[in-house]
Amino acid sequence: MLNRWVVNFAFFLHTYHPYQRTKFFFYNLLENQHYRYKKYFDLFMMGLIFLSVYILIRSVKHEIPHEWLLFNNFVISFIFLSEYLLRFWVHSNNSKVIIDQYEHDLFLHRPFSFWEAMKTIFHQKMEYILSVTAIIDLLAIMPFFHEFRLLRIFILFRVLKLFRYAKSMRRLISILASKKFEIITLVAFTMIMIMVSSVLIYIMEANDPTSRINTLFDAIYWSVVTIFTVGYGDFVPVTHGGRMVAMMIIISGIAVISFSTSIVVSAFTEKLDEIKEEKLIDGVNVLKRMYIICGYSPLVHEVIRKLHKRHLSILILEKDPKKVLQARKEGLLALANDPASLHTYTLLKINFEHQVEAVILLHESDVANIYAGLTLRELTKKIPLYSILHHPENRKKFSLAGIDHIVNTHELVGRMSRIIAHQPVAFEVIHALRSEQTSTIVDEIILDAMVSDRFYRLLDDPLFYQRFSVLGIFSTSRQKFHFNPNHEFKIQPGDVAIVIANRNLIDEFRTKLHRRG
Amino acid sequence: MKHRCAAIFGYNEYSKQIFQQIKESYKNVGLFVISDTEFLSAKNDGINVEKFDLSDDWSAIEARFDMSSLIVFCALNDDAENVFLTISLRATFEKLFIIALAQDSESMMKMKSAGADKVIPILQIAANVIADILGKPIMTQVLHDVLYEDSPLTIMEMEIKENSPLNGLYLHDVHFKRDFDLILLAIVDQEMGTTFSFASKGQNHHIDEGDILVFMGYKDKLHRLKEWNEGVRG
Repeated sequence: MLNRWVVNFAFFLHTYHPYQRTKFFFYNLLENQHYRYKKYFDLFMMGLIFLSVYILIRSVKHEIPHEWLLFNNFVISFIFLSEYLLRFWVHSNNSKVIIDQYEHDLFLHRPFSFWEAMKTIFHQKMEYILSVTAIIDLLAIMPFFHEFRLLRIFILFRVLKLFRYAKSMRRLISILASKKFEIITLVAFTMIMIMVSSVLIYIMEANDPTSRINTLFDAIYWSVVTIFTVGYGDFVPVTHGGRMVAMMIIISGIAVISFSTSIVVSAFTEKLDEIKEEKLIDGVNVLKRMYIICGYSPLVHEVIRKLHKRHLSILILEKDPKKVLQARKEGLLALANDPASLHTYTLLKINFEHQVEAVILLHESDVANIYAGLTLRELTKKIPLYSILHHPENRKKFSLAGIDHIVNTHELVGRMSRIIAHQPVAFEVIHALRSEQTSTIVDEIILDAMVSDRFYRLLDDPLFYQRFSVLGIFSTSRQKFHFNPNHEFKIQPGDVAIVIANRNLIDEFRTKLHRRG
Repeated sequence: MKHRCAAIFGYNEYSKQIFQQIKESYKNVGLFVISDTEFLSAKNDGINVEKFDLSDDWSAIEARFDMSSLIVFCALNDDAENVFLTISLRATFEKLFIIALAQDSESMMKMKSAGADKVIPILQIAANVIADILGKPIMTQVLHDVLYEDSPLTIMEMEIKENSPLNGLYLHDVHFKRDFDLILLAIVDQEMGTTFSFASKGQNHHIDEGDILVFMGYKDKLHRLKEWNEGVRG
């Protein structure tokens, strides 16, 4: 009966949207580094920590207003307690564990094993309770019981909680964790040295009336101060034996310091590339609008030179680390990730709809471009895909892969050759206009019916007359280009004028066209 | 047409496309390859090619073409070899019209220094097209149709003859847009050398014999202007 009720309740929770939504919200807020509001939550918690430590420090020598203490002991502690309980809640999914166990037992024609499910839930929750961060969290709540004055020292655990909220601190821990074995060895060596030297110095010095080292605690204190090369000088060995021990521990101290320095330095050196990569990925996540270019080749360099004028960020995805290095040397944002792998986009957490303007496939092989194109189409149908085509016979395959715009340089060069052979000057003119090498450019101006009158009026303005050429107006509704339109041509919303003029004059025209009044 | 025959050097995707595009326009088109691999590859594709080397012996070319009406496309795979081919041809044939392909802008400068009349910078052109499709898709489509497709709209360059009615006029005296339904894009002033200036910049330009005017417009109207310029029509 109880089993039945537990399973029904688990199914209810699992399908109850408000419950799942709330849990998902708290999971994002507490654990998801990429959740947009998490950084505000982290900043809020860090603010509370600093406030609470400030109150503790101030209380040492000053009288603290009652409200402050109340705020510190109850409000802040209550917030920390709530955070601890929420983390405990979102750490695992109990209803899913029960459902999984139920379905597993059902499949094997066994009765539902309630205790097996409880065991799994218990293990998962204990995993959280026994984690270092959760222990620190729990200890940071302790000052709540402020009647026990000694427990107020636990407020310092709130400082340790900072590790949870500051990303750089988490990174520091992860770097040091990679040298776990070396650190454990160092700690063990240091402790043995301290233990041996403390016992030896105690034996040598404790019975000498001129020595200040009289107790085992004095001996340990002296050993620690000496091995870490601090040497206050408040306790000094006076016997020959004691001085021998001092010499031994001073030499060991140098070894301990150099060993620990080398561990930290080598950990950072080994992780440097990883840290840089992580920082780059973080940088990609905050980009608002960008172009993604797949592959890195000399063509990419040229395309980027042109695209930079559009003031949009450009991200290069290239699986060859050597090419990535080369791109980075050129000052480009490049990641050594395979653009044809779904894993890349999961790792980068790119929001295609909000972040990506278009994807340009510029690998030096058609196979790679089609493969990357198919991967991207699996992820999104909305983003326009552009690709270079190296072999004209593959054109159909590109279309099938869902690539919207295909550029074939061979075909283009062939057609250009025909024009250049017949009309070399005309070709030069068009090429110069398109490559924007001179101040005169060809550009598009989007029009609407509202600006129709002003458009024709401006063309007669002495500033623009004969200096501003309108090649024609492209009617988007009729998909037709009207060459050299006269003033009777009716402009429809969304029509596009194609103009040739000095780039500053075009900007001025645009400004005047859309100016109110 | 000034040139009646064409020689294409190199056998690759570019030269194949050039061959496809120009073969109808010239009486005599020859493909020349430098290596045995290219030779075999062309044979396999069923295309007749001839072998050449980078020495200064051009007798085979001279025997096959009338050099005064020949246009040459230098489309070898390697930019260095292409520059060498261009400079070799220029050294031997001073008047030959040479079009060379260059992978990047660095090679483009070298091709020009080597004596190529026109250089097609492949990467730059591809980049321009990609960037234009992204940023100015309509303009790109319109220009593509005008330049490469069989559109009623086209571009035309026209040389001013001695007896041209335009000879001696200022640009601001002629209303090409209003009177001819044509748009003047640019003008090459013979007195100023071969560089061109855009019509939108120099309305005070004095049109002289030998100047080249570049227009965009409908084919029939361009044809009418051409006839008028040549004194066929009044």
